[in-house]
Amino acid sequence: MSIITRSIKSADRQARYLNHGELQAIESFYKSGEDRLRLAQILVANEAEIVNKGSQRFWQRYPNTPSNTGNPTFRASCMRDQSWYLRLITYAIALEDTEPIDRSGIKGVKEMYESLEIPLKNLAECMRCLKEVTVEMLSLEDAAAIAPYFDHIIQGFGR
Amino acid sequence: MQDLITSTINTFDVRAQYPDSDAMNKLEEYFRSGDLRAKASLAISANAKSIITKAVAKSLMYTDITAPGGNMYTCRRYAACIRDLEYFLRYATYAMLAGDPSILDERILNGLRETYNSLGVPIGGTIRAVQAMKDVTADLVGADAGKEMGVYFDYICSGLS
Repeated sequence: MSIITRSIKSADRQARYLNHGELQAIESFYKSGEDRLRLAQILVANEAEIVNKGSQRFWQRYPNTPSNTGNPTFRASCMRDQSWYLRLITYAIALEDTEPIDRSGIKGVKEMYESLEIPLKNLAECMRCLKEVTVEMLSLEDAAAIAPYFDHIIQGFGR
Repeated sequence: MQDLITSTINTFDVRAQYPDSDAMNKLEEYFRSGDLRAKASLAISANAKSIITKAVAKSLMYTDITAPGGNMYTCRRYAACIRDLEYFLRYATYAMLAGDPSILDERILNGLRETYNSLGVPIGGTIRAVQAMKDVTADLVGADAGKEMGVYFDYICSGLS
């Protein structure tokens, strides 16, 4: 939920207009909006490279993982899932909130991957690799803005 | 409720896609217009009472609706009408800030026409009042913000008719 929706909901509960402080907070959210979209677009533009590098690093560290057994379906699924998490992160950046990640990427993740017989520990390591290669290609400031979303995913897998 | 960002994300997440350039342009435009939206919201909240007063004077006052036998006759009904207009204005302002009309459906429009019909509230008069509110608000906040508010006033009207 963005700060806009959150503020409107709380004002609505009290049947009032948004107050000065809330509007100021929203305004700074609007102002940083274009910059957040720019950051998200960097991820979109470099998606293939990030996923490629991330996968290589992951398979080096965890050679005995289902996606590294030579099964092309497992391999493709692993890379597809990495793209998906990257996409969820771009959503979260635009929204400045982890809700899209939680809803589409964390809820039920344990049950799903366990039923697919993929250890969550491996998945978490995979995300750590994805984070590392992403952070390496960004400026310090952009990296600092993005890293918490990767950490959120990694923590979500550990739960 | 949704805002423009959430509704964009929801649309593209179910397709597992990134927002297309059209959607991105809309988002950028939305963020750029943030200052305008916040200022308009502030101006409207400071002048809500007078917007309603002026809109009623423009659209309903001294018509059949306020005369004996009309639906705003007696102060109890008059007050109910004003209260509803206040709701419309406040929720239109929320929707303008969010850049998305979903809150109007959720909080105002679902079942409103049926309620009004069963209470005998004239839809035509209500729409006239909302349109008058649109004009008065545009005078107050200026053409650009007025146009944006107009989108949501019109949304209310089309939801009623």
